[in-house]
Amino acid sequence: MNTDFTQLAWLIPLFPLFAFMIITASGKSQKALGTGASIALTGASFVLSVLILLERLGEDVTNYTWNQFHWLSFGNFTMNFGFEITNLNAMMLVVVTLVSLLVNVYSLGYMKDDERIATFFGYVSLFTFSMLGLVISENLLQLYVFWELVGVCSFLLVGFWYHKPEARAAAKKAFIVTRIGDVGLFIGIALLFWHMPGNKLDFTSIHNAVSAGELTGGIATAIAILIFIGAVGKSGQFPLHTWLPDAMEGPTPISALIHAATMVAAGVYLVARTYDIFLVSEAALETVALIGGFTAIFAATIAVVQKDIKRILAYSTVSQLGYMMFAMGIGTWAAYSAGLFHLLTHAFFKALLFLGAGSVIHAVHEQNIFKMGGLGKTMKITTITFAIGTLALSGVAPLSGFWSKDAILAQAYEHQPLLFWVGLTAAFFTAFYMARLFFVVFTGKSQAKHAPHESPKVMTVPLLILAGLAVVAGFVYFPGNEFLGHWLTGMEMEEHVHWNVIILSNLAALGGIGLGYFLYGKNRDLTVNLATRYKGLHATLTNKYYIDEAYEAAVVKPLGGLGGVLQVFDRVVVEGAVKLSVGVMTGINRIGVHLQNGQTQTYGVISIVGIVVILLWFVGRRFLNVG
Amino acid sequence: MLDNLPLLSLLLFSPLVGILALLFVPKQNGNLIKWIAISSTFLPLILSIILLVQFNAHGEGMQFAENVRWLHIELSKYTPVLEGIEHFYYDFSYSLGVDGLSLPLVALTTFITAMAALSSVVIKKRWKTFYLMFLLLEIGMLGVFMARDLMLFFVFFEITLIPMFFLIGIWGNKERERAANQFLLYNGIGSALMFIAFMILISTAGFSFNEEKLSLFYSGSYDVIAANIANLDSFANAADILGGAFFLSDGLKAFTFVLLLVAFGIKLPIFPFHTWMLKVHTEAPPSVVMIHSGILLKMGAYGLFRFGVYMFPEQTQHWAMALAILGVINIVYGAILALVQKELKLVLAYSSISHMGIVLLGIASLNIYGLQGAAYQLISHGLISALMFLIVGMIQERTGTTELDRLGGMAKTLPFISGVFLIAGMASLGLPATSGFVAEFLAFLGLFDKYPVIAIVGTLGIVLTAVYVLRAVLKITFGPTEPAVEGLRDARYIESAPMVALVALILLLGIYPAVLTDMLNNALHLIMRGIGG
Repeated sequence: MNTDFTQLAWLIPLFPLFAFMIITASGKSQKALGTGASIALTGASFVLSVLILLERLGEDVTNYTWNQFHWLSFGNFTMNFGFEITNLNAMMLVVVTLVSLLVNVYSLGYMKDDERIATFFGYVSLFTFSMLGLVISENLLQLYVFWELVGVCSFLLVGFWYHKPEARAAAKKAFIVTRIGDVGLFIGIALLFWHMPGNKLDFTSIHNAVSAGELTGGIATAIAILIFIGAVGKSGQFPLHTWLPDAMEGPTPISALIHAATMVAAGVYLVARTYDIFLVSEAALETVALIGGFTAIFAATIAVVQKDIKRILAYSTVSQLGYMMFAMGIGTWAAYSAGLFHLLTHAFFKALLFLGAGSVIHAVHEQNIFKMGGLGKTMKITTITFAIGTLALSGVAPLSGFWSKDAILAQAYEHQPLLFWVGLTAAFFTAFYMARLFFVVFTGKSQAKHAPHESPKVMTVPLLILAGLAVVAGFVYFPGNEFLGHWLTGMEMEEHVHWNVIILSNLAALGGIGLGYFLYGKNRDLTVNLATRYKGLHATLTNKYYIDEAYEAAVVKPLGGLGGVLQVFDRVVVEGAVKLSVGVMTGINRIGVHLQNGQTQTYGVISIVGIVVILLWFVGRRFLNVG
Repeated sequence: MLDNLPLLSLLLFSPLVGILALLFVPKQNGNLIKWIAISSTFLPLILSIILLVQFNAHGEGMQFAENVRWLHIELSKYTPVLEGIEHFYYDFSYSLGVDGLSLPLVALTTFITAMAALSSVVIKKRWKTFYLMFLLLEIGMLGVFMARDLMLFFVFFEITLIPMFFLIGIWGNKERERAANQFLLYNGIGSALMFIAFMILISTAGFSFNEEKLSLFYSGSYDVIAANIANLDSFANAADILGGAFFLSDGLKAFTFVLLLVAFGIKLPIFPFHTWMLKVHTEAPPSVVMIHSGILLKMGAYGLFRFGVYMFPEQTQHWAMALAILGVINIVYGAILALVQKELKLVLAYSSISHMGIVLLGIASLNIYGLQGAAYQLISHGLISALMFLIVGMIQERTGTTELDRLGGMAKTLPFISGVFLIAGMASLGLPATSGFVAEFLAFLGLFDKYPVIAIVGTLGIVLTAVYVLRAVLKITFGPTEPAVEGLRDARYIESAPMVALVALILLLGIYPAVLTDMLNNALHLIMRGIGG
C-alpha cells in the first residue's frame, strides 16, 4: 500500500494549531490575517485528509501507526504518543476537516460584525486541532488528552459571548456535566492500565489483548461501561444530556461544528475505537443499546414542543446520537458500521440544518420559531437546503439519513426487536418535529420584526455543499452495496434486505411529516387546543421531563447545603478544637515561662529550652544504660 | 571550572548578595531598593538553572554534595566511655546535596521567589525590611531542600518561620497580626513535634560505631539514619546490643512516624490541621502567599518523602491506607469548602488543601507512579498557585477587593489578565496539556493499583474541582461588568513577564512531562527502596 500521504497525517492537526498560534500572536485586531490563516490552514488539513482517504481506498490497506514521542517516561516505563491511521480515522478526518472548513467559511459572514471575530477563529482553529488530534490518537490516554481539550474549546465557544449570564451558565454547565462523564473514562483508563498486559493503552494492544482472551469477564464489563460513561457525557446521552441543549448559547456555527457534527460524535467514535472491549461484554453492549435507544426516543419527544429553533435541533442531535449508540450496542459488525454510517450522514445533514438555522437567525434576529414564519419567500436557498436537511434527517428515501437509519433499524430488527420499535417510534417523532419546525419557520405568515433577507454567498455556498452531501452521502452503504461496512471493518457484511423495515421506516417518516404538515402547515389552531387539553404532558415535555430541576434538587442544592454545614464545622469545630489545645499549651507555657515579650521570643525560648531538655534526657538515658 | 566550586553553597547563600547590597541603601530610596532586590533574586535563579543543566538525571544518589564538619561535640569529656572506645561525640555536619527530588524544588524556589519579588513592587511601605525578609526567607527555603542532615534541615526550617512571621505581620491586611501569630503558633508546634522526632532519630538510629576510629557517635546524616534503620543489626534495631539501651522499637518507630506525620501534616496541611493557613492566605500580601502556597507548603510534603517514606518504609506501608483516606478527605473536604467561599483568596486556600490531598494519595499508593504523581504535584501546584496569587495581587491592587460578589466581567476590561486567570484555572482543575493533569493522572493511576475504591471516591474531587474553579473564575471574568472592575488597566509589562513565564512552565510540564519525570525517577526509586515493588 502507498503511504506517501498517510505518513504525513500528523500535519493534519498541526495546521489548525498553527493557525491558532498565528491568531493568538497577532492579536484580535488582525481580523483579516486571523480569519485568512484559519481558513487556509483548515483547507490544507482538508486537502491532506482527502489525499489520505484516497490512498486508503486502494488495495491492501493496513493501519499505519507511528508512536515515537516519549510523552511520559521514567525508568522502564514509557507512555508514547503518536498517531494511527485506520479507515475509520481516515473517514473521520475528512468529516471533521470538511465541516470545519465549511463552518470557517460560513463564519466569515455570520460573525462579520463581531469585534472579536479573530478570537472566534482562533478558538475554532484550536478546536479543530484538538478534534483532529483526538481522531488520530494512537492510544487511549492520548485520546483522553484531546478529549478534554475539545471539551475546553467547546466551553470557550459556548461562552464566547461571555458577558451574557446565560452564556456563562451554559459554558459552565457544558464543562461540568461532561466532566462527570470524563471521570468515568478516566477511571476506565486507570483500570485498563492495570489490567492490560504490559500496562499498554494503545488501541492495537487492546485489540490484541481482547483477541487473546486476556481481558474478559467482570473487569472488561467494568472498563467498557466506564468508557461508555465518558461517551455518555460527551455525546449528550441520558442522563448527562442536559448540557447540550444549553450549549446552544454559543454562536450558531459552533453549534453546527462542535455540537452537531464533530465533538458530540466523539462519544460514538470512542465506543467504536474501543469496540473490542465492548464485544466481550454482553452487559456492556446491552447498556449501550438501552441508553442509546432510550435517549433516541426521550430526546425526540422533548424536541416536539420546544420553541427555540436551535434547541429543537439540539434535542434532535441528542436523539440521533442516541440512535448511533443504540446501533453500537447491538453488537454486530454490521450494526457497528451502521452506527458509524449514521455518524457520517448525520454530520452532514445536521451541520446543514444548524447552518441553515444560523442563516435564519442571521436574517430575523430571533430564535423563537413562532416569531418567524413565511421565510420561504425571501430566503430561497436557505429554504431549499433546509428542506433537504429536514427530509434527510426525517429519513425519507433516498436521502442519506434514510439509508443510515435504515441500516440501524434493519440490524435492530434482526437482533433487538423491542428496540426496533423504539427506534421506529423515535423516527416518527423526528419526522414530526422537523416538519413542525419547517412549516412554522418557512411557510405561513411572517411574524418577524425585521424584514428577512437571504444570507450572503459565504453562508449559502456551505449550505449548498452540505445539502449536496446530505443527498448523496447515503449511497456509500445500502442494501446491495456494502462498501462502507466492508471498508470500515474489513469483514463481509451479511446484509439482508428487509423490505418491511424499509417500508415501515419510510411510513414513519412520511407519517411524521404528514402529521406535522396537518397540524402546523394547515390547522395551527388545533395545536393550541391539543396543548391545553393535555396540559400536564405538554408541561412535562416543555420542561424537558424536569430533569434539570431534579438535578438541582438532588445534587446542586444538597451540595451547597453540605458546603454550608462543613463551613460551620470548619470554623467552629476544627478551628475551635485546635484553638483549645493551643490555649491549653500557651497557658502551661505562661505558667512555666514568665515572659511577656511577645510570641517570637517566647517561642524562641521554648525551642531552646526544649532542645536542651531533650538533649540532656537522651544523653542521660544512653549514659545510664551504657554505664 | 564549575566542578570545583561549591555550587550548592554558592546558591544557598547567593541571596546574601542582595541582603548585603540592600543594607547600604537608605530605606527611603524605594525604587533603588526594589531594583536591587528584584535583580538579586535572579542570581539564585541563574545558579539553579546552571545546576539543572549540570545535573545528571541518570546519576544515582546525591549530586553536588558538600560535607563540612559543623557541630562536633565531644561527649567523652563528660561521660565515661566503654572500654576500647576512643571517642564519643555528636556529629552534625554542614552537609548539602541535591537529588532528582530536591533539585526541582530548589529550582521552583528560586523561580517563584524571583516572580514573587517582581510582583512585590506594589508593596506600599518599608521596602527595605520587606525585601531583607524576603531574601532571608529564600535562604531558609533553599536550605531546607538542600540539607542532608537533620539538624541542618531543622535550622533552615526554622529560619523560614521568622521572616514569614514578619512578612505576614507587617505587610498583611487588617488582621495581619493575628494571622502572623497563628502562623507562628501552629508552625511552632509543628516544629516542636518535628524536633522531638528528630531527636529520637538522632539518639537511636543516628547512633553508630566507627570501627576505624574506634568511636561512637550520634549523627544527623540522612543516609546514616536511613541505613541504620534499614539494617536490622544496627544499634537502632537491636535491643540487646547495649543491654536494653534506648533503641528504635516498633512502638517507638510508629510513634516517631506519627510525630513526623503530624509535624509535616501541619505544614502541608492535612485535615484537620489546616485552619492556620486560611488566615495566611487571606491576610498576607499576595506576593508572600505566592511563596507560602507555592513553596512553603511543599516543605511539608518534602518532609514526608524524606523522613516518612525514605526512613520509615514499614510504617509508611502500615499507614498507607490511612494516608490515602486522609488524602481523599483533603481533596473532597477542601473542594466542597472551596465551593461555598465568597472570597477568592479563601477559594484558593481551600483549593490548596484539596490539591495537597493529591500528594497524599500519591504517597499512599507507594508505587513509582503514585510517588511520581505526588512529586509532580509539588512542582505543578507550586507553579499554579503562584500564578493564581500573582493574579489575585493584580486584582486586589486594581479593584481593592477579592470578594467574588463585587467582581465580574473582567474579561472585558482586563482581557489579558482574565485569559491567564482562565489558563490558571484550567491548570488547577487538571486539564490535559497543563502540569496539573500529569500530577493528578499519575497520583490516581498509582492509587488505583493499591486502593481502587478509595481512588474512585477521590475522583469525586476531579468533578468538584471543576465546579469550584469555574464558579470562581467565571464569576470574575465572565458576565456583566461590575462597577469595581470598570475602567481598569490591563497587565503592565513588569506584571505580564512573570505571568507568561509561569504559564509557559505550566504548559511545558503538561505537554512534555518527561523533562521532570526523568529527573524524579532515580531519586524516587531510592526513596522507596525499602518498600519493595
